[in-house]
Amino acid sequence: MPLNDLIGYFEQLLTGAVITVELAFSGYALALTVGVAWALLRRLGNPVVTAVWRVYGSIFMGVPSVLVIFLLYYGGSAILGGLLGLIGLRARIDVTPFQAGLAALTIVQGAYAAEVVSGAMRNVPRGQFEAARALGIRPYQAWWYVIMPQVARLALPGLTNIWISVLKDTALVALAGLNEIVARSRTAAGATKEPFLFFIAAALFFIVISAATLKFSARLERRLDRGVARPAVAGGRA
Amino acid sequence: MKFDPALALHSLSAMLHGLLVTIALAALVVALGLAISIPLAVARNSQRPVLAWPAAAYVIFFRGTPAMILLFLVYFGFGQVFGARDGLLGALFSNAFLCAVIGFTLNHSSYVTEIVRGGLLAVPKGLEEAAAALGIEPRDVFLRIRLPLAIRYGLKAYQNEVILFTKATAVVSVITVVDLTAVANNIFYDTYDPFTPLLTAAAFYWVLVNVIRFGLARFDGWLNVHLVADEQRDRVVMVRADGAVPRPIATAGISEAAE
Repeated sequence: MPLNDLIGYFEQLLTGAVITVELAFSGYALALTVGVAWALLRRLGNPVVTAVWRVYGSIFMGVPSVLVIFLLYYGGSAILGGLLGLIGLRARIDVTPFQAGLAALTIVQGAYAAEVVSGAMRNVPRGQFEAARALGIRPYQAWWYVIMPQVARLALPGLTNIWISVLKDTALVALAGLNEIVARSRTAAGATKEPFLFFIAAALFFIVISAATLKFSARLERRLDRGVARPAVAGGRA
Repeated sequence: MKFDPALALHSLSAMLHGLLVTIALAALVVALGLAISIPLAVARNSQRPVLAWPAAAYVIFFRGTPAMILLFLVYFGFGQVFGARDGLLGALFSNAFLCAVIGFTLNHSSYVTEIVRGGLLAVPKGLEEAAAALGIEPRDVFLRIRLPLAIRYGLKAYQNEVILFTKATAVVSVITVVDLTAVANNIFYDTYDPFTPLLTAAAFYWVLVNVIRFGLARFDGWLNVHLVADEQRDRVVMVRADGAVPRPIATAGISEAAE
């Protein structure tokens, strides 16, 4: 009886869903931090920073996330051992699938976030910087109170997309052995011979979160846009 | 933590075979995705709910679900129902590679549908009206005026989607297809050296992604030759004026409309 199967595995799936959400939230927070840091660094215009960014961005936007997850999971303790060796420490640190997945999501999605935030910073009118300076606002205050709120507004659609791809990319960490919702639904499907039931349940979990995200994002967008009158043009954003 | 060139060289032919599987999979899905998503985009834009609703449901379900779940659904779900049967469906769903093609096509086509739809909506209404006023048949208005422009508007987003999806094929080993990532993983299991095979595979993916990027960028440039010329002219004028980095005037409306 399919319904009984679903009830029987419900707790399993729920535990998996919690792991997925934990990984997605922490991965997104870290990716956002990395993205903002890269965007600020890139604004310095330092040629070394620019060159390092080019290599970083090109590699991590040009290589599947799964490979980065595998590399950090299988090779993680060797990499950490090597890094600790550089400062003269000898230790063996084991890497869990969650940690490897979190690191990989941070590194990969951080590159995409950096692109979004950089683009938003470029699109803040230059007059805003000049006006802040003319008013004698200190640079860090100008960034915090004048520039960043506008960057947030401009970056919101891109950052919403990144949240959805972080959420969906958590499924990849199942391949490194993380027992999140997709791995658990696969186990349940195999044990009960009810593939449709469990895979559609897992799919609905992702769809519901994505839909809730888009609703929340639309509300946030209205709030962030409250100071800006928008012409009603079909299609693109002005 | 080191790269072993001898192992990389030794495993090169296996890697290339895996790369070929990845490319074949991606090419089939791209072709099927285009074939499906143009009619779907038209259906989604349709005034008739009978057409618009199913198309919207298709996009919401297949776009919101991670590709891995779709692969499981097709391979374990439909495979279980049809795989043991004779006939076309049986042959289709008992073959892991074909299941992968179906699973990824469902995912990829739903993204492309939204891109084509956005492109179609961005075509100025006046063009359509002008074409109708000139007595061009509705079918030709669509095929020769709206669709070519929609493709032009959506090409940048399409390029991103093709690249994202090509990278997403790396999970296909979950349904036993031996692609580039699976080959690299197998070499790791045999040698316990994670770095050499995974970095080699990463290099192959990087080249593949950049070939796609370059190819589609060239196509975009070829389609928009007239705009590139305008952009360069604007740049000369604006740099002289205030030394600022110019914002291409001629393409601004178009790239924004495509987003």
